[in-house]
Amino acid sequence: MLLLQDARTDQILFLSLFLLVGMSTRDWTLHPEMIAVAIATCVVTQWVMLAVSSQESEFDSKLHPTAKRKQAISFIFHPSFLASVPSALVTSLGLSILVRADHYSTIVLACVAAIASKFLIRVRGKHLFNPGNFGIVAALTLTPDAWVSPGQWGEEGWYALMFLTCGGLVLRRVGRWDTTIAFLGSYAVLEGIRNVLLGWTWDVWAHRLMSGSLLMFSLFMITDPRTIPNARIGRLLWAVAIALLTFFLRNYLFLSTAVFWALFALAPLSILIDAMFPGDRFVWSDLLGKKEAGEVGEAEAQEMTALVTQIS
Amino acid sequence: MVTKPLRLLITLFFTCLVCLLVAPSAWAFCGFYVAKADAKLYNQASQVAIAHSGNRTVLTMANDFQGEVKDFAIVVPVPVVLRRDQIKVAEPKIIERLDAFSAPRLVEYFDEDPCDQRLYDRAVPAPSAASGVAQEANRLRKDSLGVTVEARYTVGEYDILLLSAKESGGLQTWLTQNGYKIPQGANQLLKPYIRQKLKFFVAKVNLDEYDKAGYQSLRPLQIAYESPRFMLPIRLGMINAKAAQDLLIYVLSPKGQTEVTNYRTVKVPSDSEIPVFVKNEFSDFYKAMFQTSYDREDRKVAFMEYAWDMANCDPCSAEPLSQTELKQAGVFWLDNPNSESVPMPSGGFRRPFPSSSVFITRLHVRYTRDKFPEDLVFQETGNRDTFQGRYVLRHSFDGEPKCQAAYQYRRSLPRRFEQQAQNLARLTGWNIQDVRKKLPQIEGDSRPFWQRILSSLVGK
Repeated sequence: MLLLQDARTDQILFLSLFLLVGMSTRDWTLHPEMIAVAIATCVVTQWVMLAVSSQESEFDSKLHPTAKRKQAISFIFHPSFLASVPSALVTSLGLSILVRADHYSTIVLACVAAIASKFLIRVRGKHLFNPGNFGIVAALTLTPDAWVSPGQWGEEGWYALMFLTCGGLVLRRVGRWDTTIAFLGSYAVLEGIRNVLLGWTWDVWAHRLMSGSLLMFSLFMITDPRTIPNARIGRLLWAVAIALLTFFLRNYLFLSTAVFWALFALAPLSILIDAMFPGDRFVWSDLLGKKEAGEVGEAEAQEMTALVTQIS
Repeated sequence: MVTKPLRLLITLFFTCLVCLLVAPSAWAFCGFYVAKADAKLYNQASQVAIAHSGNRTVLTMANDFQGEVKDFAIVVPVPVVLRRDQIKVAEPKIIERLDAFSAPRLVEYFDEDPCDQRLYDRAVPAPSAASGVAQEANRLRKDSLGVTVEARYTVGEYDILLLSAKESGGLQTWLTQNGYKIPQGANQLLKPYIRQKLKFFVAKVNLDEYDKAGYQSLRPLQIAYESPRFMLPIRLGMINAKAAQDLLIYVLSPKGQTEVTNYRTVKVPSDSEIPVFVKNEFSDFYKAMFQTSYDREDRKVAFMEYAWDMANCDPCSAEPLSQTELKQAGVFWLDNPNSESVPMPSGGFRRPFPSSSVFITRLHVRYTRDKFPEDLVFQETGNRDTFQGRYVLRHSFDGEPKCQAAYQYRRSLPRRFEQQAQNLARLTGWNIQDVRKKLPQIEGDSRPFWQRILSSLVGK
């Protein structure tokens, strides 16, 4: 029940579906071992970071050091870790779909960077960067062999439909469809203006917007509710800003991976926007605490909810 | 309670880790090269070589223009005004060498005598691959006023102009007035390039120089420039083309594979075993196979036909290019000692061959106006996986059966031939019945039935 109520379960299912579809019907240079490495690295990193940060948070408690160590080991079965495993899976699947590399070490680096960024780069308890996006940028900048293939999905209607349907289902649950529409809408307008100014025919415009990679980005990455502004007006402003930067990077600096750089560069802007337009922070499994409260005792449930809210 | 599952998990984790470290194994191709499907197959094929590293590009445009030399002219949008020393005429053979080195290939194997455990292979002389008339798509553009001649050079047998224009009508008028034949409709297509502030590289043949030098054909033009744009304008080439056009692009990079970013890059089907009769009709086979793949992918992808380190090949359809030839093809990073430090595999996939600082990707794009609205944009990747379009012939052993194993071997042949026939029909779209008719016939086991039964019991 619990799993079904978490929108991340949908996300995991859909991302796995895309991965399978991509590997079987598209011509991807993707080695299945890379996916296994990505998943293992993300989950292990999540566990380590969670264990370390929970130990730190109990630094002042009067527990004996050995007891603390024991607690750290037993942390693997702690509900707060289990509750955050879906996040790690989403990140690892997302990275597997997007990042290609020649060496395992590059994928490991991308995954560690992605998960660690959630714990290390935080402002007022909210992680700043979209983990997947951070991992991509880390791999692209720090290693010589990582790449992202913007053309990997092609421009076919069926794939667009698949992304829209699956993305729509997730977004309906997390209530972040506004961001996707604002991003895609403003980007389409910008490309439209450019098209008119340059005198290209409209099929050029359609071809640029039908890119499967663009759709996937706007439905599954830019909408991560944990890292984007909390208030709707903030999200709209933010999405438009990313569309503008993407447009600039793609058409004037000729970066084919413009969307990822734009999202990365503008992530810090969300703090400013949150300060200007405050809103309730998104929590993935807010049902978790309530549901289990009766079974495991209220005090513990509250503690769990706090951890989940803080970390997942 | 906790330790046991934990130990289990840790063991599992390490098991997975060990599997992952061991699993990626090198796979080397082997076999004899017999034929290649090179650019001569296609009626309208343009060929370009692009040497690209960082923001630097050296573009070599093969010239197989078949008409009157005086009618030849080419207009190419370029990002910057080129200086005299950025333009040169390349060695005529260089594109041919790149084509031959990277062409899809047929390889053949020979089954040994099932009664004899020694292995032996034979090389068979290669029939010539293909014939056909190649024709350069005529890429003439218009002329206009408000046109600035930024530079004017004579390079080899070519007169070259670098133009910038304010307005496409002006450019069209200018080109027409200056004796360039411009196809109808070029105006609309020139506009986006002018508005993107691109310059126009215009070349025509200087007849005096051409006659003086006594060239038999036009040599390739090579231009070098620095720009973050890594693209190839194909829209202009579609103006007066009714049929689909073939474009072969040889990208040379110090990193790894190059792919198209605004269309899908798809590998051509490869490594299929096909009937041996294809040896005599390999060019027909490859053309049919390419057309089938092209249709299957809805005619809107770029095909990768070859991706390999230029230091080696296996099997080779032509000798790897020498350092001098690579330089002629525009590779400009060979003298830089730093460029030798190619990222070598550390913990990843092992590679069986020595590697160099030049990696070639052969892309084959068959394009039409309706499926390729945008110019091709490329990116180089760190992907050093090798790929080749390679088709396998396996000759069966035809000697007299001398043991029971030989009879078994014979009985297994029809199934193998059928599989090869199905592969061929699937790849080319040819009628399976026609293919089957051409399959070799296997003589039945002519021994009396009791001898067959006896020998199968005894195992001899």
